[in-house]
Amino acid sequence: MAFTTPMRILPFAAAIAFSAACIALPFAATPVVNDWIISVAKLVVLAVSWNIAANAGLISLGHSAFWGVGSYAAVLAANKLGMPILPAVIAAALAGAVLGAALAVITGRLRGIFFAIATLALSEGLRVIAVMLVGVTGGGEGLYLAQSLRPDVRIVCVVMVCCAVGAVAISWVLTRTPYQYACRAMRANESAAQMLGVNPVRLRVIVLALAGALASLAGGVNIWYTGFLDPNIAFDLHITILAQIAPILGGIHTVAGPVVGSFATVFLSEASRIWLGTKGFSLLVYGVALIVCILFMPHGMWGAYRKFHARDKQRAVAGRAA
Amino acid sequence: MGLFPQFLVDAVLLGGLYCLMAVGLSLAYGVTRIINFAHGEFIMLGAYGAYLLAAHAHIDPLLALPLVAVAVALIAFLIFKVCLERVLDAPHTNQILLLFAVGLVLQNVVALIMTGDDRSVSTPYALTATEIAGLSLPHGRAIAFLVSLILAAALVLWLRRTELGRATQAVAQSRDAATLMGINVIRMYALSFMISAALGAASGCVVSFLLTVSPFMGFHMLVKGFAIVVLGGLGSIAGTFVASFVLAFAETGVAYFVNEGGGWAEGVALAVLLVVLIIRPSGILGRATEGN
Amino acid sequence: MKLTLRVIAAAFSFVLLSGASLPVQAQKVIKVGAPYELSGKFVAYGAQGQRGMEMAVDAYGPAVAGHKIEVLLKDVQSTNQGTVSAMTELLQKDNADFVIGPIASGFVSAAVPAWRQKKALWIVPGSSSPTFEEAITGEELVFHTYPWAYHYHEGTAKAIAAAIGKGKKVAIIYSDGSYGRSQIQAARDYYGEAGFQVVATELVRENTNDMSPALQKIRLTKPDVLVGILQTTDAIVLAKQIHIAKLGIPYLVGTAYPQLQEWADAVGEAADGWIAANSYLPNLNAPADPKYPKLFPASKDWEAAFKKRYNRAPEFLDVTVYTSAVMLFLAIERAGSPDKQKVAKELRNLGVQTMLGDGNFVKTRGGALNQAFGEMLVYQRQGKQFTVVYPTARANGTLRPMK
Repeated sequence: MAFTTPMRILPFAAAIAFSAACIALPFAATPVVNDWIISVAKLVVLAVSWNIAANAGLISLGHSAFWGVGSYAAVLAANKLGMPILPAVIAAALAGAVLGAALAVITGRLRGIFFAIATLALSEGLRVIAVMLVGVTGGGEGLYLAQSLRPDVRIVCVVMVCCAVGAVAISWVLTRTPYQYACRAMRANESAAQMLGVNPVRLRVIVLALAGALASLAGGVNIWYTGFLDPNIAFDLHITILAQIAPILGGIHTVAGPVVGSFATVFLSEASRIWLGTKGFSLLVYGVALIVCILFMPHGMWGAYRKFHARDKQRAVAGRAA
Repeated sequence: MGLFPQFLVDAVLLGGLYCLMAVGLSLAYGVTRIINFAHGEFIMLGAYGAYLLAAHAHIDPLLALPLVAVAVALIAFLIFKVCLERVLDAPHTNQILLLFAVGLVLQNVVALIMTGDDRSVSTPYALTATEIAGLSLPHGRAIAFLVSLILAAALVLWLRRTELGRATQAVAQSRDAATLMGINVIRMYALSFMISAALGAASGCVVSFLLTVSPFMGFHMLVKGFAIVVLGGLGSIAGTFVASFVLAFAETGVAYFVNEGGGWAEGVALAVLLVVLIIRPSGILGRATEGN
Repeated sequence: MKLTLRVIAAAFSFVLLSGASLPVQAQKVIKVGAPYELSGKFVAYGAQGQRGMEMAVDAYGPAVAGHKIEVLLKDVQSTNQGTVSAMTELLQKDNADFVIGPIASGFVSAAVPAWRQKKALWIVPGSSSPTFEEAITGEELVFHTYPWAYHYHEGTAKAIAAAIGKGKKVAIIYSDGSYGRSQIQAARDYYGEAGFQVVATELVRENTNDMSPALQKIRLTKPDVLVGILQTTDAIVLAKQIHIAKLGIPYLVGTAYPQLQEWADAVGEAADGWIAANSYLPNLNAPADPKYPKLFPASKDWEAAFKKRYNRAPEFLDVTVYTSAVMLFLAIERAGSPDKQKVAKELRNLGVQTMLGDGNFVKTRGGALNQAFGEMLVYQRQGKQFTVVYPTARANGTLRPMK
């Protein structure tokens, strides 16, 4: 239905062209640009992951748990089992899916703020475990990804971009299935949703497994880029915060929102580091910019853009996410 | 066992300190239903306030406490007016991120003004202890314990016996009903936020002579505060009080009696939290209903 | 939709343009990368790095070997990602041939993979981590101007054994972060080698609120020496709680912190009597280098100049970064060009006398090829003084037990 008219194909085609260009870009770009590409791509995956959970009413304050588990899974797969990049990151994604499913089962029917704090506790708890299990994780000192296994940086870049494109594609597909109605119902009122025949626990397991897999995938690919891991890096609160900032800045509960938000977040952070870095103001400016964005664009940039767009064309925006 | 009596002393004193750190968070959430992600920074501001008055005006942190608490309450009022008022009805995530960003700004402003150097206040009582029957009772921590008891008691009294306090409780129970009763809900929110900040600052004053003061000290105190507040039951001051001691005992116990316990202690606290969340999400004494 | 496409196109072009390398500059410039922790948790270290570099550039002058010196200061923001981004930028975009920094152990370790992508001549004025030493084993272009963990512990263990004899008991308390973990084995080994019996090793969490359980457990073993392997933040709490608990341990040993003014200010009277080792001590009157007195002045003169400029007393990292930078400039001068291999060779053979001691780079037992300033002076805080107690040739006092 949606693909009959040529006008409707245009955004679809543009998205595919843009994705293809992004995948090809690392081979032409300089290492500094690749650094940015990886920053944006990994944030897109994280943001989409967080957004998927948020769409079902599950606000995660511990997304760094998945990131960390994915990072360690990838490093250990490489160092102990000699896996190259692709199997290692798949292992990372699987680890994330398992953790997500386990989290869903353990937290049962915990909702809202309680679920959020459970995720925070999970993330901090995993960090303590990572620090204490020195034999496995190298403890506080950290460990290096085996140098001999590391591929060219551009390959890692391409893998990360593919993951980002894949993540966005997944989230787009999800909005085209009846699944999205079940999620929206859960978001609004889980008890009512249950009365409508939605199985909350099963849906939670699916949602969290998927979100977990994506976030762990991002962490797993990232470690192939940075090459060094310790518990503070793996379970950094900053990751959790970034995972929320991007979708919220961009526009929560939409498909484009996390993408737009990721670009904006990386731009903000890099700009303040590069232009203000030497004076130590960078983090301060980042914080102020965040405050301003949240106060004046509560529906994110994509939401603001759509309001402007709708007002401009005097057309009610369809209920579907863009 | 040889270490048991000292363990009891240490656990009780630590519980007092935790209570002071967490009770402000509990009040703020109970009334406004907003998790104050910047609470750690209020503690930090209080600690710096006490440090500055001690270093430049030679005022003891305990004497400076009322002054510092009021000053930080005023800063909290500013933050409320400028930022929070706009997001009172926004999704929780926006509120959380906003307060996190506020915390980030506060940390870095303080780091720029005071530099990142670690500091601490050395009052005479901070470095002494009484020895009774082989037990060491540190004066600094004992005083912190007393301060926390006094402030917690004062808070409860205020909530129960004063007009404003009861209005605050009304708002905590039901915002709409309170509005119908003629209570200015926004003003109550502001007041609770200010008092919560003042309590945080008070714990900061105490921490200034017990622990290290740095611009980034707030975060792990925030996480600890969360664990305590949820453990005790969101919205219950008494619950926070009990949970502080439960947590302090669990942590100190593990540190004393488990091999490498010092490393596992914090993990145990989180494990306890997870278990409580699963078995009894309303917490030990909680009666707060799911507000979402 | 047109707007969306335009926005996407604009973002794309922006990304491509900003990444494009700037045309090579006509004038001859030597770029020295200076990635430091200029914000975030370790800003205290980064500030010292910056000051050290500034003093160095002032002392040496604006040019070396016919090239203008350009110091590229970058903020690593006290995060891993910030370190990777800063190093990548310095090495790949700015094409810096020389890098001095970062400082904190965690970030130095995190910087290694980025450095491997394009190896510059890397002087590391920080990190005592064995993981890092292992990672750079055999690397010719890495120069380490900071002590390794074993330098600290070997020095203090020998000094105390010399004063109180063999067979005594030592207890070690350490934090579970990278700092503590990386040094605990070295401490155990060297105290054992010096003839001590290690009776207790207690772990505490970083940023812990109460070290009393660990201290009480240590008290039961009645040690003669207590070694505290912690970062400054925790060391403040440790010193206070040891003092309060009246543990009665006659010798207290620290790592870097007993020398820090900020630690001493924070713990007040509890600072007295602490023992530690370092290659630089304030007011020690290290002499100037006879051939380059302006670059490597007597420590008294340099300290005075520093105080005049920054209105504070210099600390260990200020001196380390200054010395590292000036040595680099001198090596470049002697090499006559910014060729990394030539400069590395000259740097290794510099042989200058600095405030940190002999400026000779040697191979260490841990595998690092270029290590300078490993000779430690063991000192004890006695009143307001740092009394050097070991080696006996340079001692100006004796070791006292705590009252």
